[in-house]
Amino acid sequence: MTAQSPSPVFTVRFDISDQEFSLAGVLRPHSPAEIADDLLLLRNGIEAVNGVLYVNLKRVTHMNSTAFRALTRVLVDASHSRPELKFVVVASSVVAWAARMFRHLTDLSPNIAIEIYDSAFYPGQAFVENQSFIPILRTQTRMTWRHEREILPRHGLRTGMAIADICCGIGDFAMLVRKEFDPARIVALDHSMASLDYARDVAEKFGVRDIEYTYGDASQMLLESDQFDFVICRHSLQIFDRPEMLLRELYRICKPGGRVYITNEKNSHCLGEPRSDSIQWTYHEVAKLFSHFDMDVEMGPKGLRLLQDAGFEAVKMESFMVSNLDGDPQEFADIIAAWRDVYAGEMSVRRGDSQEFIERFKQGFEDHIFAALHPRGYAGWPIWAASGRKPL
Amino acid sequence: MKSQKAAISVAFDQLLSLRMDMANFTADWLHCDQLSNYVARMVSHDRPDPLRHSNLLSSVLNELLEMSFRSETDDGELVCAFCRCREIERVELTFPCPPRQRQFYKDVVLGLKTRQVLASYLGAIANDSAPGDEAILLGLVVNYDAEVQLRDFGAGTLTFIVDLPLGKLLN
Ligand SMILES: C[S@@+](CC[C@H](N)C(=O)[O-])C[C@H]1O[C@@H](n2cnc3c(N)ncnc32)[C@H](O)[C@@H]1O
Repeated sequence: MTAQSPSPVFTVRFDISDQEFSLAGVLRPHSPAEIADDLLLLRNGIEAVNGVLYVNLKRVTHMNSTAFRALTRVLVDASHSRPELKFVVVASSVVAWAARMFRHLTDLSPNIAIEIYDSAFYPGQAFVENQSFIPILRTQTRMTWRHEREILPRHGLRTGMAIADICCGIGDFAMLVRKEFDPARIVALDHSMASLDYARDVAEKFGVRDIEYTYGDASQMLLESDQFDFVICRHSLQIFDRPEMLLRELYRICKPGGRVYITNEKNSHCLGEPRSDSIQWTYHEVAKLFSHFDMDVEMGPKGLRLLQDAGFEAVKMESFMVSNLDGDPQEFADIIAAWRDVYAGEMSVRRGDSQEFIERFKQGFEDHIFAALHPRGYAGWPIWAASGRKPL
Repeated sequence: MKSQKAAISVAFDQLLSLRMDMANFTADWLHCDQLSNYVARMVSHDRPDPLRHSNLLSSVLNELLEMSFRSETDDGELVCAFCRCREIERVELTFPCPPRQRQFYKDVVLGLKTRQVLASYLGAIANDSAPGDEAILLGLVVNYDAEVQLRDFGAGTLTFIVDLPLGKLLN
């Protein structure tokens, strides 16, 4: 009985300035001796810190009993030898066994606390996971699809591919892509349970069984590396305060030679006629409001640079204008009304805006709606679509 | 025993059964990881959240496979079967096992029903000298709400039957 191959891959880090020991990947050693060096790093780390030591296990996808017991003993011993030290073990809400297993550390020592990492990921997350966004997302997708079904093939989407839609929202785009491009596999991931429930309901009603909807955190996915021919991430990089972290994950799950496709907006460029000045003022304010919550809704044209910086090659970009001329103008007006309700509602209030500001802010959306519904009016919402190839 | 077995085979649909020569299996520790991921993925594709389902199931399968890996016998076959009955998933793992080891497992599994499992589990994970297999089986009960049964038809093999409410654990 030999253990010839090295155990599955994991990484270990100790960061003295953050007082954080992190493990990531698959910890399935044959014996505790295999991870002895890693645990020594932890032991030495414990000696070097004061106050709180963070044990970050968010990115551990598997940990066998052997590893867990070895880790437990180090932490429990340390909690006895350094009783003044607090240990905070951070586990992921996505990995279903993690919280159930790691909670026993608290049972064994009152100095060890467990934190479940979930939606505290970035400041604006609560807004974008808000259920009131569901109807907007649906209408938005219907309108952008008219453009994107033609754009996607230019960025390399073909039938029969393995596709992932990361931050899929209510899953409607995945449904459309599935129908049009007949993928070999399609995974759709989001961090909103409400949106996923909605997506599964719709799929069920249409008898669609082959979209793999999954709850996850886009910045650290359970998906394995090098799996997808085409990775989609729409309207979502712009809401993360560290988009490069997300791009790294999109890159990781993409096959070498496959492409990552992103779309983002530049809100200050929303426009309309008549009443263009009021509309323009309001959308400049939208950009400022989002940036107050660390979201960059001006990201659209930055797509080229972002993809290049993330290591993609053969990067392409184009833009398109969703407008009131794309079908029923009322649909366009509905989108604006939904934006008005959230942006000049909850978000503006949360920032502490004055009533006077909110009134003026709202007026621009009203004027945009007016332009959209005006028989001779024009109302537009510009979007940038970019993609890059992962090198072979 | 007979009627119980009949009831089991009626209620559960078998989705998959894998056979492997024990000597091949134990030739490489990595086989535990690979086999558990493979089986978990195969049977999770039609679940509401295939990825998380598969991650959870792989964790359980891996523990069982690691246990059989250490069973000290290379002679014979490893059989890993997977069945489902509505929300309950069942793993049946059969592997060659010498008599002394079989008795040890029987005692542990009996203990799972009679002892304070949480206290025993905490004792097992905090204590170096507790047997690894016992910690694994207690862990399955405590962390995965598993129900563990044993079937021993003699012939030098032992079958673990582990029922798991995975759908419930994922929500
Ligand atoms: C602006 S919506 C875009 C949804 C969809 N792609 C579309 O275009 O309709 C952003 C989505 O990102 C999701 N999201 C936010 N944080 C996430 C995270 N950490 N991991 C995965 N998804 C996240 C939200 O739940 C929301 O569905």
